[in-house]
Amino acid sequence: MEDAMSKIDFASVQVGDTLSSKSLAVSQQLINEYADICGDYNSIHVDVEGMKSNTMFGGSTIAHGTINVEPVLQALCDIEGRLWPAEGSKIDLQFRAPVKPGFTIVSNLVVKEKKTEGGKNILVCDMKIQNKDGGDCAMGSTVIVCP
Amino acid sequence: MEQKFNTSLVANFGPAKMLPDLKFAEMEPGWDCGGGTYKVTKEEVDKFSKLMGDANKGDVTIPIGMIYIFGLRICWDRKVFLDGAIRAGDKISFFKPAKIGDTITTKLSIADKKEVKKEKDGKVRINKFLYVDMNATNQSGEKIVDIQMSFLLPATMQ
Repeated sequence: MEDAMSKIDFASVQVGDTLSSKSLAVSQQLINEYADICGDYNSIHVDVEGMKSNTMFGGSTIAHGTINVEPVLQALCDIEGRLWPAEGSKIDLQFRAPVKPGFTIVSNLVVKEKKTEGGKNILVCDMKIQNKDGGDCAMGSTVIVCP
Repeated sequence: MEQKFNTSLVANFGPAKMLPDLKFAEMEPGWDCGGGTYKVTKEEVDKFSKLMGDANKGDVTIPIGMIYIFGLRICWDRKVFLDGAIRAGDKISFFKPAKIGDTITTKLSIADKKEVKKEKDGKVRINKFLYVDMNATNQSGEKIVDIQMSFLLPATMQ
């Protein structure tokens, strides 16, 4: 059984509040090492030289889409105070722009709705994953189950 | 780059006919794309925690970002990532946590498909979307995570 050490106090959270965020600095080395762990060696991620002549992403490699999600996944655990989100927790996201080496991506969660259902304290949030230097990389919503 | 993925962690299963063998009209909900198993080892968990700066070192529950590690190589081996397709989004539902030593089984199937009419500069285009379920369970059959991936298929897709 995991410890429940929520950083947020459900009672004091208000609609419109911005919750704690997580960030990740994306480098080509991080992308390469991620490929070594997951086994996804698509050239758009790891072929730095080959992608220089590819106009689709401005001559750059791009991070695996799953790397883009990492800050939100970590933020969700942090906010819930758990190592793994509680059953009922959800993320629904649409990718908006590729993440490239050199980006620092940051999660942004804003409370849209607060409710108690089936004995669970739930926050529904608007969610964005943004490049620190500007631009949305992904957006959508999250359902957070507070302890 | 030199590929260091430990292929012994993964085993695949499924029908000989895979997604690239289908036309869009044949991509029906429920179609079995196959799947595979992934063995969660301390070595991979340590590498992942360090790489992502996750404070969770995996002593009890593995780092949350590893939910994708179960399935990505299996998706490639089962050819779920079609040539020219663009990842459009994910819907993720969480269940039981995964732990070091677990053998995770990932099953892939078509969830849905959609054609969306788009008008721009007086031109009409039909965007084809495919939705694929990636459902992960542990060795006891307990659900770990469900991820529904959506893809924008290439305009040339028949």
